[in-house]
This record gives sequence, structure tokens and C-alpha cells, in this order.
Amino acid sequence: MELTISLVVNGLMLGSLYAMVSVGLTLIFGITKVINFAHGEFMMVGMLLAYVITSYLGVHPYLTLIFIIPLLFVLGVLVQKFLIEPLKDSDEHIQIFATVGLSIAMINLVLMIAGSNNFNTPASGMRHTLSLGPATVLTGQVVIMMCSIFMVGGLHLFLSRSQTGRAIRATAQNRNAAQLMGVHVSRINMVTFGIGIACVGIAAVLLSPLYPVNAQTGQSFVLIAFVIVVMGGLGSITGAFIAALIIGLVDSFAGFYLGSSLKDVAVFGIFLSVLIFRPSGLFGNARKLAHVS
Amino acid sequence: MNDKTISSSSSGGYGGVMQWLLNNKSLLFITLASLIVIPVMVDDDYIYHIFITICLFAGLSTAWNIVGGYAGQLSLGHAIYYGIGAYTGMLMLNAGISPWISMFIGAILAAGMAVAISYPCFKLQGPFYALASIAFLEVFHIISLNWVGLTGGANGVMVPLELGWSTMIFRERLPSLVIAFGLMSFTLVVAWAIRRSKLGFQLIATRERESAAKGAAIRTVHVRLYAAAISAGLTAMLGTFHGSYLTYIDPESAFNLTFSIQIVLFALVGGLGTVFGPLYGTILLVPITELARGWLGSSAIGLHGFVYGVVLILVVLFMPDGIMSVIQRYLPTTRRRRFNTNEDSPIDHVHLDDIKPPARPPIGELVLKVEHLDKHFGGLHVTNDVSFNLYKGEVLGIIGPNGAGKTTVFNMISGFLNADSGSVAVLGEYGHFSFPKTPGAFARNGVGRTFQIVQPFAAMTVEENIMVGAFYRFRSVEESRKVAREIAYELGLYRFLDEEAKNLPIGGLKRLEVARVMAMRPRILLLDEVMAGINPADLREAIELIKVIRNSGISIIAIEHVMQAVMELSDRVIVISSGEILAQGKPEEVVKNEAVIEAYLGKEVTDASTE
Repeated sequence: MELTISLVVNGLMLGSLYAMVSVGLTLIFGITKVINFAHGEFMMVGMLLAYVITSYLGVHPYLTLIFIIPLLFVLGVLVQKFLIEPLKDSDEHIQIFATVGLSIAMINLVLMIAGSNNFNTPASGMRHTLSLGPATVLTGQVVIMMCSIFMVGGLHLFLSRSQTGRAIRATAQNRNAAQLMGVHVSRINMVTFGIGIACVGIAAVLLSPLYPVNAQTGQSFVLIAFVIVVMGGLGSITGAFIAALIIGLVDSFAGFYLGSSLKDVAVFGIFLSVLIFRPSGLFGNARKLAHVS
Repeated sequence: MNDKTISSSSSGGYGGVMQWLLNNKSLLFITLASLIVIPVMVDDDYIYHIFITICLFAGLSTAWNIVGGYAGQLSLGHAIYYGIGAYTGMLMLNAGISPWISMFIGAILAAGMAVAISYPCFKLQGPFYALASIAFLEVFHIISLNWVGLTGGANGVMVPLELGWSTMIFRERLPSLVIAFGLMSFTLVVAWAIRRSKLGFQLIATRERESAAKGAAIRTVHVRLYAAAISAGLTAMLGTFHGSYLTYIDPESAFNLTFSIQIVLFALVGGLGTVFGPLYGTILLVPITELARGWLGSSAIGLHGFVYGVVLILVVLFMPDGIMSVIQRYLPTTRRRRFNTNEDSPIDHVHLDDIKPPARPPIGELVLKVEHLDKHFGGLHVTNDVSFNLYKGEVLGIIGPNGAGKTTVFNMISGFLNADSGSVAVLGEYGHFSFPKTPGAFARNGVGRTFQIVQPFAAMTVEENIMVGAFYRFRSVEESRKVAREIAYELGLYRFLDEEAKNLPIGGLKRLEVARVMAMRPRILLLDEVMAGINPADLREAIELIKVIRNSGISIIAIEHVMQAVMELSDRVIVISSGEILAQGKPEEVVKNEAVIEAYLGKEVTDASTE
């Protein structure tokens, strides 16, 4: 019983981290209809920047958010403007290759600059353990969990209440109609991509005191992010959040019972089952164009 | 020498040499020859290694292209089959079996795995198929790491260094180069053969427009499975060779995502869907990066990956059709003429005055029986108890206001939509009625259909488009080509046979749709607004054209808004409004029907006219 509680708590913690990573991905897809294969690399970049700034300025890693959020937002905007936007009328496979190419370029750029070393951001108190009943968690994990809830909630409010949010939802549902309503669609796409990447930047910063980063770190997160995004229904933020928690739990339990090397098989097994049997996701609509909620 | 050769457009004096050099076949010959000649002449181990790597990747890319380029299934997990081939070869070599034999066993295993993986995934859209393939690759990676008993886990598998042709292990590099070159050439031959064969056409048609391909009775799932199996088999064979060449394989290098992506990159840079594109792509990219790695040594970690990433981005942005498209632009025009319709005079039609429609046979037996069709889209009752008959050799017009549900009915009598209730019976080959359910089944029962939004196979020529339909009736490429040319002539498209379909104006596209369907020699032809957007001169011709088709014994159902055509051509007319049949009968009677007028023009008009 205690074991189960531990595994559940661990799973939920993991799930909230995954949620923060995936929410940006699903937002990007829901609006721009682009599958950002390079999403994990932005996370890696965020973690590296957190490391660099923390190490050289000696500040608490969370303070780097001040710098990283706007930076990653701008990066997202630039990627959308110069890479994705020019290809919006191309075949799907061309768009896939664009982000795959970006991913490869980013990973190898980091390899060239920093080699294949691991970088550990100083814990700065985020690795203190707390006891939640029989389970032990790190303070950093609790912060992540709370932030993920705020992030999802905040995005939800933003999309439903603000003018920009409305414009974003309109673009997701019907690009042409939105344009006719005066929505500057390409600008909305840029903003959305920026927000999506900024979200993953937040996740990166919060994760950095807890987890080492190297050039390949992004790859280990991105596949899981895709699983979650598909499961949750592309474009659905709440769907992604719930799916993330589920996957977190699966990861936690499978990790214990199957061992760390085989647990990915469970996750990918679920992924393939969802893709094959219910590609619209557990919470998505049968319509191909899922709306952002 | 005609206008489109390079000699008239650029440097005059070099024209002849350049032209000879860029002529497709010469370039290919020189390229292939140099792959052997250069390393032999230089006789340096490292250069040998680079060229062996080139041959290997060229083969792998070409094999991938069969399913990725021809069929359009973007598999990013092809390393699975490479790994299967490599492991099969190594494990069997350790058991004393020569790779020459295990190559084929690995190929069969890989082909089987390809079918098993691809079949459930084919219905996934592009990016999701790619994601699924990556997921499968990761699963293989993890299994091979953990199934230590079979694969040796992370330690990998080595083979004893028994030299000789039977083990494919040599001290010198030349024999390995020969084998690599041989396998690559074999792969190129297979790819070339497929491209020119019926399978190739069917694959490309499926890639371009699956619904139209299904309408031409192509078994879209089967053909893609063939492609996947062949591709996987070839990939595995190359993997077996490479295993012996490296004398070591481990999960990290066998089931490697980056490796998979590289293969795809070369094919993309060269030109997806072309036969020799992957070869050129590999030749362009591999030496650059291998040499860079050689010069800069270990400090260049990540450099070749970075170059690949940047190249991929640049190609995607500026040259998405790959090198081959650039090469072909400068080719002396052989098969592909490029009419720029802005420059030349607008494509004018061939007058059909010479063609006299054969005498019209009398209207014959019942060929289509539609009974009580009913369909809801959610709460919307789109088709409400629609029943009608069609007789041999007659023309049945379907008219009605926009949104009345006419195309929905069409979809239900061609298999693209299933009715909630009611039946569609089609007279078959041997005199009895059958009840087809899928587009392929309808097509096989002689029902051909055009689409409201024309759906040509854009990347194929007019001739190839029509051939896709002809393949339904004819086995060989030559026969299909002959039939395609005949039909093109009948329909006034003869001059545009070698034109790419996407360059035709809308009138030509509509005729192409009809031509493709006609090539299938249907018994029933469904025409969905073929007259829309045609100018009055073309309209006259189009009407004559339909008469030719009708008089050859084909029954026609035509959804039409152009009243002139409807009145002149139809033997009977059905009016559909709000999903129901409002009226049926001879054209002259139907247009005077009050309910019909009201449906089109509104109640006030009918009230006004009866005052």
C-alpha cells in the first residue's frame, strides 16, 4: 500500500513535469498545425541556459526565468516566422523535415560547442526532500507540480478570456474565417509558437536543478511529449494535462515493475495503441481539427 | 536543338559539353563508374571506406525511397530493417552460415516485419506515421538492449575474423567495395523497375490522391504493403553486408534514429520519388561530412550532424524537390515538356468536329437500382428516401439547389459514403446484381466517377494519369499506355500527353478526370459537375463529348447546374432538394414543375407567376 502511494505520488510528480513540456507542443500543433519535432531541443537549450546563468551569476536557477522566458518566446517567434511560415503551403512531409532538421542542427550545435558532457545546475535547495505520507518527494518536484497547474490554468484563462486568446482559438478553428474577422493569422501563429516554446522554457528552468542536461536530453523528453499530445488529443490543453498525468503514472509503475530500461516499452506500447485505435486521442474529437480548450 | 536546352539559355560555347554532361544517362554512368574507379585509383584505405559508405547509404536511401518517395509513407524508423538484417547476418555467421544466405533470410524477416508494422499504421496521416515509425524503432532498440540471450545486449555481437568471400570479411577494402557497389546497383535496378511498372504508377497515384486512386480500383493498402516489404527487404540485405564489413553490431548503432534520419535526408536532398535522386543526394552529402570529420578529427564531434541539420533546413526551404528537379530543369527536353501557360498561347482545344458520334443504340436494361437511400450527418437529414433507376445507355441528370445533397447521393452510389439505410444494386458482368460497399468494389463493378473538385495526380503527366485508370483493365504498361493515348485523342488531350497534370487549365483537368475514368471502361459513369466553369465554346464540345460516351453504350448520371447541358443531354431528370427527390421525369416536364421552380427561385416567384 505504501509502495502504491509512493508510486502514485511519484507518477503525479512526473506527470506534471511532462504536462509542462507537452502543453506547449499541443498548443503549437493546435494552432499552427505543425508538429514541432524540435520541441525537446528547446527544452534542452532552456536547461543549458539555466545552467550557464546560474553558474556564472550565482543566482537561484528560478531567477533565470526572467531572462529565459522572453528569450525562448522570441526564439519560438523566429522559428515560426522563418522556418514554418514559408512552408505553410508545402506538403506535410516538407514541414516534418523542417523541424526534424532544426532538431538535428540544434543537438549537434550543442555537441560542437559543449561536447557530450552532462551539466548539472546547482540544486539551490530544490533537492531537499519532503515527506508526503509514505512518499518522499523533492521540493523542486512540488514546485513543478504547482507550476504545471498554474500553467494549464493560466493558459486556459488566457485563451478563453483575453482578446489574443480568442484570436488564437479562432485561428485554430478556422483560419480563413479568422482572417476575415481581421485576425492577423501569421502574427497569431508567431505568438502561439512563442508561447509554446516559452512554456517549455519554464519547464526547463524548473527542471534544471533536479536533472542533468546534455545535448541529447531533449530527445528523451520529446517522444514522451508526443505520446501525451496524441493521447490528449492534438490541440487540447486539458487533454494534454490529463494524459500527462496518466503517462506519468504509467512511467512510475512500469519503471518499478518492469525496470527502467523496459518501461519505455510500456509507454510506447500505449502510444502505438492510441495511434492505431484512437488517433483522435482519448479526449480529442473525431474531427481532425481539434479545438484548443 | 529546341528552345528548352541549356545551350540557348546560358553560356553558348560550353553548351554542347554541359548538355552532354547533364544528359541523364551520361551523368548516371559517370557517377556510377566513378564510385569504383576513383577509390581504386587512389588506393587509400580511408578513401575506400568513404566510397563504401557512399554505396551503402545510396542503397539504403534508394530502398527507403520506394516506400517513402513512391508511396509517400514517411518512415523515420527504417533503421529497424537495417538492424534486422545486420543482426541476422552476424548471428548466423556466428553459427557458421554465410551472409550470402542469411542476407535473404534477413530480407524475408524484415519484409514480414514491415508488413506487420505498416498495415495498422497506413491510415495515419503523415506526421503521425512518422511518429509511429519512430516509436517502433525505439521499441526495437529497447528490446535488443534487453534480450541479451539473443542479441548480446549492449555488448553487441562480434564475428570471428574469418577472411574470405563466403564471410564477406576481407583485409583489403576493394572486395567490400565491390559487394557494396553490387548491392547498391541491385537496389537501383529494383527501384527503377518498380518506377516504370504498374506498381510504380499505382504507388504514386496512391501517394498523390488516395481517394482518386481508390476510385480507379487501385488496392491502395496492398500496393503500399508491397512497397514496404520490398523496401525493408533491400534495406536488410544492405544491413547484413554492413554487419560483416564492420564485424561488429550493437543496438546503439543498429537501431539508431539518427541513422534513420540520415537515410531520409539523402533521399530528400536528391529528390523524393525519383529513381536516382537518393544516389545523387548521398554522393553530394556523404563526402563533405566524412572528409570534414577526417580533417578535424575528434574536435569535430557534432559537426557532421550539424551540417546535415542545416542542409535539411536549407533544402526544405529552397529546394524541396531535391537535386533531381534542378538537374531536370536543365535537361534537354526529352519526355517532360514544360509549357508555361503564361508565356505560350493559352492551351486551345482540339475541335471535335471530325469525330462523328456513332449511332445511338436504344436504351436497354436496368443497370443501377437505388432504393430508399437514407443518410444523416448527426442531426442533419441529408438524404431522405431517395430511390431511382438507371438504364443502359441513358443519361440521367440530377439537378437541384446548392447543398441539396446531390454529391452525397453520388458518394453513396460510388462507395465513398455508406448510407444509413437503403440499397444500391449494380448490374454486374454476368447479369446479376451486386451490392458493392467500397470505392474499389464499385469500380470493379463498372461504376466510374469524377469528382466535383477535380483530383488529378498532379505530379504525373496527362498520359500517366490516364494510364492509372487503364491499369484497371490492362496488365502491362505498354497496353495501358496505348489505351491512354487513344482515349486522350478521343477527348482532345492528345497534344498534352507529356504535360504535367498540374499545368492544365481547369477545362483540361476536367477532361482529364473523365479520361481517367473512361480508361477503366466503366459501364456506368458518374459525372459530378463536369461542365462547371467552362466557357460557352468549350461547352458545345463538352456536350458532344458526352454524346460520344453515351452512344458507346455507357450509362451516365450527371450532376449539373448548366441547364443547357441538362436539357440537351438528359433522357430523364431527377430534382433533389433538401435531400429529397422533388420530381422525376423528362427534362421539359420537370422544369415546368411548380415545386421545382419554388425550390430554385423561392415561393414569391411561384406565387407571382400563378397570379
